[in-house]
Amino acid sequence: MRTLNRVLEGIGSTILLLLRSVAYLPTLPRQFGRFVEQCYLIGYTTLPIVAILSFFIGSVLALQSGYAAQNLGPKQFIGLLVGLTMARELGPVMVAVLLTGRVGSAIAAELASMKVYQEIDALETMNIPPARMLVMPRLAATLFMMPVLTIIADLVGWFGGAIIAKYTSFIAIEPASYFATMRQYMDFDDVLNGLIKAEVFGFVIVLVCCNIGLNTRGGPREIGAAVTRAVVASLILILVLDYFVTKALM
Amino acid sequence: MNNPQQAARVGLFFLLGVALTWVTFETLSGGKILKDDGYRLIAGFETLKELKVGDEVRMAGVKIGDVAHTRLAGRRAEAVLRIASSVKIKSDAHASIIMAGLIGSNYIGIDLGSANAPDLPPGAEIQTRSTPDLNSVMTQIGEMGKKLEAALGNLGGALSGDGQGGPGLLQKVDLLVTENRENLSKATANLQEITAKVNRGEGTLGRMINDPSLHDDLVASIAEIKAGATEAKTFLANAQSIVDEVKAGKGAIGALVFDQKAGDDLKASIANLRAVSDKIAQDEGTLGKLLSDDSILRDAQAIMKKADRALDGMDDTGPITAVGVIANGLF
Repeated sequence: MRTLNRVLEGIGSTILLLLRSVAYLPTLPRQFGRFVEQCYLIGYTTLPIVAILSFFIGSVLALQSGYAAQNLGPKQFIGLLVGLTMARELGPVMVAVLLTGRVGSAIAAELASMKVYQEIDALETMNIPPARMLVMPRLAATLFMMPVLTIIADLVGWFGGAIIAKYTSFIAIEPASYFATMRQYMDFDDVLNGLIKAEVFGFVIVLVCCNIGLNTRGGPREIGAAVTRAVVASLILILVLDYFVTKALM
Repeated sequence: MNNPQQAARVGLFFLLGVALTWVTFETLSGGKILKDDGYRLIAGFETLKELKVGDEVRMAGVKIGDVAHTRLAGRRAEAVLRIASSVKIKSDAHASIIMAGLIGSNYIGIDLGSANAPDLPPGAEIQTRSTPDLNSVMTQIGEMGKKLEAALGNLGGALSGDGQGGPGLLQKVDLLVTENRENLSKATANLQEITAKVNRGEGTLGRMINDPSLHDDLVASIAEIKAGATEAKTFLANAQSIVDEVKAGKGAIGALVFDQKAGDDLKASIANLRAVSDKIAQDEGTLGKLLSDDSILRDAQAIMKKADRALDGMDDTGPITAVGVIANGLF
């Protein structure tokens, strides 16, 4: 009962935080510097790890599907399989997971420490709502950066799969054939589907992490607990939302 | 890090993302922001088989649209086809469901139709043709296999005998060979002997096969026949030229055959000749009498005798007469 109460409280406070943040959206031009800073942290600094991870995810996908197809026959469809999987599923989900680990945890830790050390209270005393200064720029930056990160993840994953498909002896598919099946059977809608999912995931991750950070109570020990809660909640939400968003977009 | 540098990096990063999205979009969707919704046509079939929404519609192998949705209409299935606006389909064109692969992918193929037929308006129904699907083909192959099995069974029964229709063909052949083994051995031995003789060049056939002089003779004969044929050809050519000249009315025969006047003259001459011969036969005229009356012959003979005697007398008085003549001449 207590746990349920906490979950409901968490959902309610997150929705309220969302509404407050959206209400402060017109103040974005005045906070452009903060917005750019968050874009830099969320997007630019996350790019290397996203690229490395996507390359290997694409490679492993090609390798596994090639291994499965070597006895079955239709190896030329590896390109399609890697393309669709990266664009519709693994691209957005892996970017969301990386965002949770790298950015979500940092947001939760930063806001939790501000809360614990009463900086949030100080802001409120100065009539500076934390939703306006701390949450809204992060949300806007996430909305801006998630599609960019996701499209890069998709393309790097596709190329990773193409390289592995060419140079693995039991697959040995030319990149031209690999990309031809992708172009023949894929549509931009598939990529767009993934970008929409990534937007939803990023928005929810940042909102949940901000909410958990802002609602931290107690001493410095709670900062670590808040980060753990934020990461766990974000990961669960990513996978749960993944199902529903996929279903909704079909 | 100062803000302008951070802003520049973020801006570059964002532009990179936009550029990559645009490249992906251009590659996968051909750069059309608003999809060409095209126009719809309805294709009714007995069964849509494995046709699904989104499957391609192709004309002469080129994708011109896709299947917008499928529905059951009364006692038939209908596929609503979304055709690109730029493509016009003729009213006598036929649509058929074509299997693209063994893994169940299908598409709708539309033929070109005739060039002067009117275009189908949007929402119209296109004529369809049913094609056999994999299952019906497999069923037919199964039936064919059964028939083949039965035919092979019959053949096997006929060859080896099934115990009902008496001994089989193989048993009969076996029996025939067993019964005639001695004769067959003799026949084989004879055949062997004959071939050995032929091989040694004995007998007519052996000589024909083994003697090279026969070949030479044959070649010489053929050469003679060839020469004869050449001469015959020349002769025929000459005969042909003669016939041509005769046909052209040249020469005596030509004139005779083709000149009407000469023919008439000839007829008249023959008629005259006949009249003369008739008169001779009837002993008319001098010639007739000469031929039929032998008294003339006798008279002639008597005359000849008299003349002979006269000539003999002249021989004796010859010199005297000659002197007399000379004297007359001198005096």
